[in-house]
Amino acid sequence: MSSAIQNSSDQDALLRAGIDRSLRHPVMFFMTSGAAWLAVSIVLGIIASAKVHSPGFMSGCAWLDYGRVFPSHINALIYGWGFQAAFAVIIWLMARLSRKKCTSAGIILTAGHIWNLGVSLGLVGILSGNGTGMPWMEFPSFVWPVFLVSYTAIVIGSFIQFRVRPEGHVYISQWYLLAAMVWFPWVFITANTLLHCIPGHPLMAAGINAWYRSALVFLFFTPVALAAAYYLAPKVTGRPVFSYSLAKLGFWSLAIIGPWAGMQKLMGAPIPFFLPYVGAAATVLFFVPAVCAALNIFRTTLSSPGVVASSPSLRFMITGIGGLILLGLAAVWLNLPGSTLPLTQFSLSGYGFEILAIYGFFSFVMFGSVYFIVPRVTGREWLSRRLIKIHFLFSVYGIITVAAVALFGGLQQGIGQEEWQQPWQGAATRAYPYAVATTIAWCFILFSNVFFFIHLALMWLRLGRRSLHPTLLVSDAHHGPGPHGEEGDIDNAGPGHVAAH
Amino acid sequence: MSFRTFILGLSASFGAAWLAIVVVPFITMRNLEPIQLSEANDGSTGIFYPKRTGRIADGAKVYAENGCYLCHTQVVRPTYAGNDLYRADWGGLKADPDRGDTRRETNAYDFFGEKFAQVGVARMGPDLSNIGRRVESEYASPLEASQWLLSHLYNPRSEADRWKSTCPPHQFLFETRKIKGNPSDEAMPFGAEDGEELVASADAKALVSYLLSLKKDQAVPAVLSFAPPKAKGAR
Repeated sequence: MSSAIQNSSDQDALLRAGIDRSLRHPVMFFMTSGAAWLAVSIVLGIIASAKVHSPGFMSGCAWLDYGRVFPSHINALIYGWGFQAAFAVIIWLMARLSRKKCTSAGIILTAGHIWNLGVSLGLVGILSGNGTGMPWMEFPSFVWPVFLVSYTAIVIGSFIQFRVRPEGHVYISQWYLLAAMVWFPWVFITANTLLHCIPGHPLMAAGINAWYRSALVFLFFTPVALAAAYYLAPKVTGRPVFSYSLAKLGFWSLAIIGPWAGMQKLMGAPIPFFLPYVGAAATVLFFVPAVCAALNIFRTTLSSPGVVASSPSLRFMITGIGGLILLGLAAVWLNLPGSTLPLTQFSLSGYGFEILAIYGFFSFVMFGSVYFIVPRVTGREWLSRRLIKIHFLFSVYGIITVAAVALFGGLQQGIGQEEWQQPWQGAATRAYPYAVATTIAWCFILFSNVFFFIHLALMWLRLGRRSLHPTLLVSDAHHGPGPHGEEGDIDNAGPGHVAAH
Repeated sequence: MSFRTFILGLSASFGAAWLAIVVVPFITMRNLEPIQLSEANDGSTGIFYPKRTGRIADGAKVYAENGCYLCHTQVVRPTYAGNDLYRADWGGLKADPDRGDTRRETNAYDFFGEKFAQVGVARMGPDLSNIGRRVESEYASPLEASQWLLSHLYNPRSEADRWKSTCPPHQFLFETRKIKGNPSDEAMPFGAEDGEELVASADAKALVSYLLSLKKDQAVPAVLSFAPPKAKGAR
């Protein structure tokens, strides 16, 4: 009997190793090129942010005009980093959870290159003055079909893997992954055809654009990040998810609330009256799915504080989930019609909210996943604990500053905007110090991510440590079993499970 | 829960919102009926059709490509959504020499001729719904108004009281060229050395023409007017 268990767990380990090997290049390609785009995006973000308080900075060149650099920054962040990090996590997680090897690595890699080509051409388009002028959709209109085709080629394999998986349990992570994979193309096709192909009312186009931005955050980045978090938390701590029904509540409340959000950005604009109110209500209600998921993940991990302290994956992931709670609170705090919404509607807060969502929540969970996945697919351990710590600390300091500053600075700016007896200059003066702080914070984030990119690139080149000890953040963790299992086993479900070798 | 039920649930929860806030409003707004004016309420007959003149499509393109919408909005919100209407020169003019108080909120007919309403992302700078009206009210002739807009685009900090402006200079919308023969009528009065002249590019002219077309303060039909009756007394 025990030899049968031994045998099946051996097969299990072989299967996992096979899955990891089949995905090494696609996963590492998406992560590394994503990290490179992240660095590019941050450099552009610093330039743009500096121009907000010092408009003369690098102003001689048309390509570096604020109105072109800022859209490049945000689009590189979303399509360059965000989507590629999400692709890496989707294809790896779905393969692992469906217990199927990836058979289309070549197609995925090709599609990944096409995606990157799309991002590059799109950025050149924006910087050379051919942007469309629709926020988050500034890439010239030839780019979106390219994205759609390569997206389909990348995730279709994961969809098939789920359909042909061996019968059994469907994991919470899989719900979220499937949902993201269904919602994103729906949102993307809708917004792009209605804005690029079918002439409609210009105001409704602006409304759909606002809905698109919100839907990308709530219906793509959020579910992908939660899928990763619901995988990492039980996997690394070795404990089951705290509450299955809470997870269900969180998932379905997101599914029901998420699609209605977004049009509060057009409060007061002459579109059908109920749209902005519905948007504001849904954005405020986003608090519910955010808290359900966050509570569940906290309760799963916090019973093992030692693991959270020493595992880079968990530390990043938990910080990201903290970001999710903040995001939920900010969604409530910034979107109350009649009190805060008029103040924040056209202020720095909008940017703060977006950065909090994409960097403070989504990216942190993605970093956590990267620190977990890469040693498995490359068969090497992370080179340096110190590099990981630098990445973590500077990212945390940076994002706290960007988010806090943009949220509070936005409210301050909004108060200035609403003081109609005062000259308009007052509102701009109020925003000034916050803009300076944002630039400094982006510098911190850039510093942290340059190290992240270098570290990741070295790992892809298989220059990681050939060691059996996982790289942990606490130095004495090597005495006794570490959070990733017994020494020498990087692929163990955790304490209390059968060893995987 | 079977796979089929799951996908059905996802599609239903998303599809309901998709239909209700995206598809149906898109179709309804697409076929926006022109408003019939009535003799009794509006004092005239025909349809309400705010006229705009200028290079609107070209200028809107330059506006979009250079990201003006990141810092400037084009919506004057009704009083339930903000204090925009109270500002003296945002929704119109508080004291128009001919028409009195012309301030009003933005309506759905204000964006004709544009593909995408640049409602805007943030207000680092002022709202531009009535920038054309605002600038023309300060200068005697439309030519002077466009000259001022051009010099503002070239260097927004050039005037003493605007030294703190955070608007980026758009010097790339201008070109310096050698004077051949007579200097151009359109040469800017600054920014060039001897023997050279600084002139606005086609893009800059289109943009200025577009900005001058932003005069969203026409009297609106009674069905669209939400102004309290008192303010109407001025007419």
